[in-house]
Amino acid sequence: MGYSSDLSFLFLAPTRIVFGAGSARDVGVELAGLGRDHALVVTDRYLAEKTGIVNGIVRALGTRCAGVYSDVPADSGVHVVNEAAAYGRSRGADSIVSVGGGSVIDTAKGVAILLTEGGALQDYQGFQLLTRDQTPHICVPTTAGTGSEVTYVAVIKDHEARRKLLFADYHIIPDVAILDPVLTVGLPPSLTAATGLDALSHGMEAVTSAQREPISDALGLHAIRLIREHLPVALRDGADIVARGQMLVAATLGGAAFSNAQVGLMHAIAHVVGARHAVHHGLANAILMPYVVRFNNDVVADRHRLIAEAFGVEVRGLSDEASGLALAHALVDFQHRLGIPTSLREVGVPESDLAACAEAALSDGSIVYNAKPVTEQAEILAVLKAAWQGAS
Amino acid sequence: MALAFFSDEWIARYKEAINGSPEYVSAAADWTHGVVALICKAQAPAVPQDVGIWLDLDRGVCREAKSVNVEEAMKAPFCITGEYARWKQVLRKELDPIKGMLQGKLKLKGDLPTIVREVRSAQALVNSAASLDTLFLDE
Repeated sequence: MGYSSDLSFLFLAPTRIVFGAGSARDVGVELAGLGRDHALVVTDRYLAEKTGIVNGIVRALGTRCAGVYSDVPADSGVHVVNEAAAYGRSRGADSIVSVGGGSVIDTAKGVAILLTEGGALQDYQGFQLLTRDQTPHICVPTTAGTGSEVTYVAVIKDHEARRKLLFADYHIIPDVAILDPVLTVGLPPSLTAATGLDALSHGMEAVTSAQREPISDALGLHAIRLIREHLPVALRDGADIVARGQMLVAATLGGAAFSNAQVGLMHAIAHVVGARHAVHHGLANAILMPYVVRFNNDVVADRHRLIAEAFGVEVRGLSDEASGLALAHALVDFQHRLGIPTSLREVGVPESDLAACAEAALSDGSIVYNAKPVTEQAEILAVLKAAWQGAS
Repeated sequence: MALAFFSDEWIARYKEAINGSPEYVSAAADWTHGVVALICKAQAPAVPQDVGIWLDLDRGVCREAKSVNVEEAMKAPFCITGEYARWKQVLRKELDPIKGMLQGKLKLKGDLPTIVREVRSAQALVNSAASLDTLFLDE
């Protein structure tokens, strides 16, 4: 498996996981278990107004619900976090229940900081700056992809600066994640695919990361197996509870894997094209996958072989290098089968901005962990140009 | 002769090592972001009290290196704080300083993206420190 004799690592996955169809009804019990009784529900307007999901959570909380903040947009921002925290403070919230996808959960992580520390969110941008436990936080994900319910990271956009800010701290790992597949049944196919591929990207980059280690490998590789099997089913039949449930598990596995082993070049670029051109994060990762695999293949072909095997690619008789290339082909085939865009030009990234994207990606924290050290803008630009053209 | 970790003599030798490093001169040629301060948290008997090092770095040159107290160190645009055991790991090249910051083993005050861009400079600074014959007083 390619571990060296000086392997040393720290693995942390403290979130309590509650899984099962209908498990969202346990949210009140879980809150009581945390010793809290005044939760701010953080969610988005669609879930609050167009589905019964948020009402169900509020009913399950009963008198433990301090209020509902439902103005989190798809691409949340620093100003949203500040506003939600002010609302929570005004309602006397002592805890948070986030109901939604990655944007909602990341917003809630920011709110958790502000309810404990005060001030403005921008004051806490960076890595591992907090020194104490933050406001207790229960996540109820309604998408299966970001894994944010178990990670130490929140990505929140600074809309004025057109860049994504990274907040990374062990103190913002949520306390409880309730994985209820019933809540993801209504997710439209395009989002099911994009978020599912985000989870795939987490598993892949954790396994190839410069900080890879055996526990994250196990989680990442099993996430890849589950996604390969269940994502096409969830797309074909969104009401398939087994597929929906296993995709939630896969997302959580991928989240725990990358929260420890970290991610790499794929995410460094995806963060930038997402911030500059509003490309969905999971979709950006998906488009970049085959090209980043090729870029890293001369350094981590043995790891690509493991991923290829988990992804069901026939690699018997192939060298590691050939297995990596076969994986890149299989990823493109998979994306075609899912019916998603396979190039950056299809999702509106202008060719004229590729150089600026490459330059910005050099400053993204994820790049430090890429399997192959990346220090030159030209290296990233080559990957971006290939992904822009597509048809790998 | 081995010099005590973070002593004035060690700091003076460290400055010489940085300026004598072609690797650092090349990697940090574009560094114009100012002073980098390092703080080592107290751990008796080796480090009786918190201690700081002030490195005035500019375009591949260390213009000044001196011992400072924590309050002064915190005024630098970039300040990296770590426990004594962590700095030992860095000096022995067992801990990459940038990964250490991302893992919380070292605390960074300052703009992380700027530091991330300087992976090679950081490695060159570590290599310069690692080249010194360092005496760890707890050993």
